[in-house]
Amino acid sequence: MTTIEYRQAPPPVDFGSLTTATGTAPPVAQDVTYERILDARSEPQNWLTYYGAYDGQRYSPLDEINTQNVQRMTLAWVFSFSPQGLHAGQSTYAFENCPIVVEGVMYVSGWDGWVWALDAKTGQLLWQYKHAIPFDTSLCCGNVNRGVAVAHGKVFVCTLNAHVLALDATTGECLWDVTSGDVRAGESLTVAPLVVKDRVVVGSSGGEFGVRGHLDAYDLETGERVWRCYTIPKPGEPGSETWPAEGEAWARGGGNCWITGTFDPDTNLLYWGTGNPAPDFDGEVRPGDNLYTDSVIAVDADTGEIRWHYQCTPHDLWDYDSNMECILFEQDGRKLLAHFDKNGYCFVLDRTNGERVRIFPFVDRITWGEITPDGQVTARIYPEAEGEEVHFHPGPAGAKEWTHAAYSQRTGLFYVPVQDTGAKVARRRREFKESIPYWGAAVTVDAQDMAGSVTAFNASGEEVWRWRNDLPMCASVLATAGDLVFAGTPSGKFVALDARSGDLLWQFNCGSGHHSSPSTYSIEGKQYVAVPVGWGAWVEGFLPGMMGGPHGQAMFVFALSDGIDSSGGR
Amino acid sequence: MATLTPDRSELVRQFGLDKQNVGMLGRLLATGNIARAEEGPDGRMTAEVHIVPDQLVWDPSILVLPHGGELDIEFVNDDQNTHCALVPSNGDSQWMWLPNYSRGTIHVTLDGPGQYWFSSNIGNDEGRGLIGAIVVMGDVPASARLDRPPQPRP
Repeated sequence: MTTIEYRQAPPPVDFGSLTTATGTAPPVAQDVTYERILDARSEPQNWLTYYGAYDGQRYSPLDEINTQNVQRMTLAWVFSFSPQGLHAGQSTYAFENCPIVVEGVMYVSGWDGWVWALDAKTGQLLWQYKHAIPFDTSLCCGNVNRGVAVAHGKVFVCTLNAHVLALDATTGECLWDVTSGDVRAGESLTVAPLVVKDRVVVGSSGGEFGVRGHLDAYDLETGERVWRCYTIPKPGEPGSETWPAEGEAWARGGGNCWITGTFDPDTNLLYWGTGNPAPDFDGEVRPGDNLYTDSVIAVDADTGEIRWHYQCTPHDLWDYDSNMECILFEQDGRKLLAHFDKNGYCFVLDRTNGERVRIFPFVDRITWGEITPDGQVTARIYPEAEGEEVHFHPGPAGAKEWTHAAYSQRTGLFYVPVQDTGAKVARRRREFKESIPYWGAAVTVDAQDMAGSVTAFNASGEEVWRWRNDLPMCASVLATAGDLVFAGTPSGKFVALDARSGDLLWQFNCGSGHHSSPSTYSIEGKQYVAVPVGWGAWVEGFLPGMMGGPHGQAMFVFALSDGIDSSGGR
Repeated sequence: MATLTPDRSELVRQFGLDKQNVGMLGRLLATGNIARAEEGPDGRMTAEVHIVPDQLVWDPSILVLPHGGELDIEFVNDDQNTHCALVPSNGDSQWMWLPNYSRGTIHVTLDGPGQYWFSSNIGNDEGRGLIGAIVVMGDVPASARLDRPPQPRP
């Protein structure tokens, strides 16, 4: 018998070393400070923070690409990525990122723990980081991540298994890693962090699993938690009177903060939206208004204390999260915010004190109930009797999902991606168990009889124009000083609209639906528009008629045709 | 070593799902052996994982870690074909050639709790059976848990 001599296998390597990544990015993030982010719009060549600026307007002063020449816009480069092996949410991943750009370097997070630094001019991969994500992480709404924050030479990112990381912006090396949430309880993190002063602020996900929502601030340098703000009060705390006095409904109450907030340095307040109460549709187990679910909360940036709140859907029975952006703007000398809610109404509030200024509907079909201009809420159709199906508009994805509206400082208009889709819901009571979905209902969302639009409103709530789409609009829009509004459709088209008329000026078929937030930047005076493309997430909730749509997984970057350099790669 | 219930194990065997090219073309995923990693005094963990000749399966195919942290896996390819190992790790997945009759060690860092997959990502090694699970037990740190009373679990 021959004895087999075993040999030493070649040494293991980082899988990312087997790519074209150069391994390093220029140290451009070193000088990104709170002061620069405060004044982000004064350096329009960069997209320094999630919304482009703290005010959440998603508006860029760049105007090289404009209504006169957008027809010449063409593809500059594509960064396409497909992971190897199995990963969590294989059928539900989506590319929901908003690209951050600093002096020609683009920082991007993908699904399943991926972070990339790219040369924003050529698409060359500079470095990549991969966090190992457990396959069995509880995810209500797909394997997604909405973006990173950059400051002080670091890239901050959240992971699906509820960690917050700081990466070296030049190498991708992990500098600190803190566990922020409990995956056994069904918590996860999908939010893009927000850097404010010397802290990074993140909110938790997990409302569909009956967790207790919270917003946290971590020290930029150390990762030490500075404050935690629970969005569901404990018994005896302010707001606890809106929960049952007996039992533990509050402990499973949801109210998660899974979308990035906005910030006003003058009020020192963070304006953050909170999510649905849990269980989503069975209100009988949680009588009361259920604060601070479905609310805009104004949180002291230094202490994490809630200074005021406005609840958009008291005692929610329709899954109407209020996580969507609060756009800060001024009108007649008042400091206001506008929040387009899932429930189909826009809330304009005085951001100094939460006082209601106006409420107006922004979608055609609202049947669940009514909110009057003076804020009176009347529920009309909702799941009540066990097993009895009701149908209402908007469905649980809302008249606008998490994807963001924009506000142009040139036109004074808000541009809103609208979904007009209904759903059937029957209450089905279930016992609460940690990490198991806690909806309290059987739900089917309409796959027919739906519509969408990008609709422009003035600050008084009057519709100015509407660009109609056969399918609901499920991606963030971007407004620029070129008087353009960019938006992606579920079928894959990326369109440029005239910001004053809504006329379609340009379109490009990206091959997969959009569920992300485009941004714009410039390098050496040349403007680029970047849009992550990758259809997925909880499509069964917001557009089941496109459940079979191709996933896609690429960053598309556009520019005017002259002077494009697509030399990335080797 | 095997922990499958006798009835289930017997049925898998009867249907030929635990061998290559009997009941199906390859073999059912995660039907191989299960083992627990060894833990050193410093909490660092070690394990040895083989590729079984002509079976396109990791042995063990389910590796259980008592907690998250540092893990050294020595892979041994006892097969007469070339394979490789792709193992998730914080920072970047680790990848290694595993030529016929070779051995090598991969160091990975994993959070816990949760389940991860590792594989040989060439040809259709994954589809034939060379996908294994690393199962991390334990809990997140107390500082990361919700401030609420203990809740019922399934």
